[in-house]
Amino acid sequence: MSRVAEKRAELPAWIAAALPATAAAPNDIQSAARQQITQWGLPSLRDEEWRWTNLRSLSRQTLAAPAGDAAQDVPHPISAVLTDALVIEFVDGQLKTLPTDLPAGLTFTSLEHASAEQRAAAFAPAATTPNDALLALNTASAQQGVVIEVAANTVLTRPIVLQWQDGVVPESFSQTRVSIQLGAHAQATVIESILGMNQNLCWRNTVSVVTQAVNSQLHHLSLGLDGDHHLLTDRTFVTLARDARYHSLNLQLAGQLIRREIDVNITDTGAHCDLFGLMMPRGKQVLDTHTRIIHNAPHTTSNEHYRTIADEAGRGIFKGRILVAQDAQKISAFQDSRNLLLSDQAEIDTKPELEIYADDVKCSHGATIGRLDDESLYYLQSRGIPFAKARGLLIVGFAQEIIDKAPLPALVDWLTAQVTRRLGGTTVAE
Amino acid sequence: MKLIEIKNLHAKIGDKPILRGINFTVNAGEVHAIMGPNGSGKSTLCQVLGGREGYEITEGTVEYEGKNLLDLSTEERAVAGLLLGFQHPVEIPGVKNIYLLKEALNAQRAAQGLDDMDTFAFMKKIRELVKTMGMDDAFLHRGVNAGFSGGEKKRNEILQMLLLQPKLALLDETDSGLDIDALKVVSEGINLLRGADRGIVLVTHYQRLLSYVEPDFVHILYKGQIIKSGDKSLALQLEAEGYQDFLEAAS
Repeated sequence: MSRVAEKRAELPAWIAAALPATAAAPNDIQSAARQQITQWGLPSLRDEEWRWTNLRSLSRQTLAAPAGDAAQDVPHPISAVLTDALVIEFVDGQLKTLPTDLPAGLTFTSLEHASAEQRAAAFAPAATTPNDALLALNTASAQQGVVIEVAANTVLTRPIVLQWQDGVVPESFSQTRVSIQLGAHAQATVIESILGMNQNLCWRNTVSVVTQAVNSQLHHLSLGLDGDHHLLTDRTFVTLARDARYHSLNLQLAGQLIRREIDVNITDTGAHCDLFGLMMPRGKQVLDTHTRIIHNAPHTTSNEHYRTIADEAGRGIFKGRILVAQDAQKISAFQDSRNLLLSDQAEIDTKPELEIYADDVKCSHGATIGRLDDESLYYLQSRGIPFAKARGLLIVGFAQEIIDKAPLPALVDWLTAQVTRRLGGTTVAE
Repeated sequence: MKLIEIKNLHAKIGDKPILRGINFTVNAGEVHAIMGPNGSGKSTLCQVLGGREGYEITEGTVEYEGKNLLDLSTEERAVAGLLLGFQHPVEIPGVKNIYLLKEALNAQRAAQGLDDMDTFAFMKKIRELVKTMGMDDAFLHRGVNAGFSGGEKKRNEILQMLLLQPKLALLDETDSGLDIDALKVVSEGINLLRGADRGIVLVTHYQRLLSYVEPDFVHILYKGQIIKSGDKSLALQLEAEGYQDFLEAAS
């Protein structure tokens, strides 16, 4: 524990006041987390993992848990695309719909009704430093959420959609916890579709805990689609057993501040993770992803591709940490961060961070930041395509290589349309 | 009928003059070849006519169908029927060929006051052209020129031309980097572009292409000027003597 007597800003009173005496987490874990968040306050720019992302705007707000029954059941755009999806609906962090007629081998349990064992698994990750303050806050507070369990040898053909509608109640603040447990050889797709509603200011602080048994496979998508005043802090912990495969697609197209953290712990041989991401900040949006992959066993692999397209005064942040433990020989880790700046006011911060203790590994990383390629623009224009259209084609083209990683063809087309639509409103910057 | 008339065209990059008084006219129905050694200004001439930024035109005029070509933007030139085939077609991963072809055709149709082409009709047409150029349908869903071989890139250039049917096709070293089979396919494509109301300008370093696409006129470009014009025998003479001797004799 650090003995530096650096004074930390106090936890804003409205957050402190909302801390419950007990929550969904097991009591000892909840009270420890409560103590941590009270002591630490919110993360600040002085905390290494937060040096690019300022939560000060949060401190100045007074947000409240949505009181009563804030039901707004607007059709979610993704339901039209994935007609066979099993849709779990949350409105302002409160569970509204939990399907009951489920395929064999699949169970959904609301956090409120989860067993002691399910809660222990859902709240397993512990905060250790002030960088983890939001995890502690969530553990201390979360009452709502869902436990998704896929039994061994179950191959789900229907995707599970977690549909988040935040900000139905203006200036609301909610905390959710999601637990996804895959048995041996199980396969599933979980798509989190996130909407900030009605341009209302709101903040959701959420934590997901993914545990995959041997040879299981999960496609996990996070799609931030709408809401200019939406704040989302989302931390996802993934633990992979032998031969398990985790495929993440993180696509953030909206939000005032979106901070995602993805921690993947590869614990045994043969396991693999793909982390793909696309962030498109514009206006004054801050879209941030921090990933941490730990290769804790030999013969494991990871593959990471992140792209940011920043327009207007948007900010994109990507930090990708890869840690290779000392006895994790013969691993292969690839990381690539490519970034496009479309305006003079836009900003992109990208940082690969490789920490390698084994000596027989294959690790590579690369990061580029650039403008749209003049040659490519000229080529398209020389075919008669007008400048604005040519520019749009190139931007969507840059995004397309990430969108193409979506597991379902219908989803690829739909996401391409979302990105194109998103560009429709952008100003042309020279 | 004059398609393009270039008079006393001078252009420079930075302080370096590249074109130093080009005079040259293409009438409808004609095929012209412009030959010259490296650094003679062939590519600069193509880029200036294509409307690329970075060149300063210091003197001269270019009229295209009676309009001042130099006033038009790159895309305006293209939709007006002047198309440039690139020496080094750009690779654009992520943008599918099919999108480029569709957007380009629809831009041209919009300029003519026509609606977008029906998708079914478009696909039918494209599939025929893909076959003509000896390509595979799968290419349509690959990124523009991404990972293409030299030959595939040049075939793709001609495929675009066949779709867009330019009034004036300006082909910058379309034959470079082609093996003999690809050269034949590309030449056949170019021959399909010939027509009584169209013009073609082949810019090339070698005579080889001209055996397959017979030009009506051959011009020799040297140090930014056309130093000699003639019929196709000029190309053969140049090939036989080599640039060095030919240029010494001519200048």
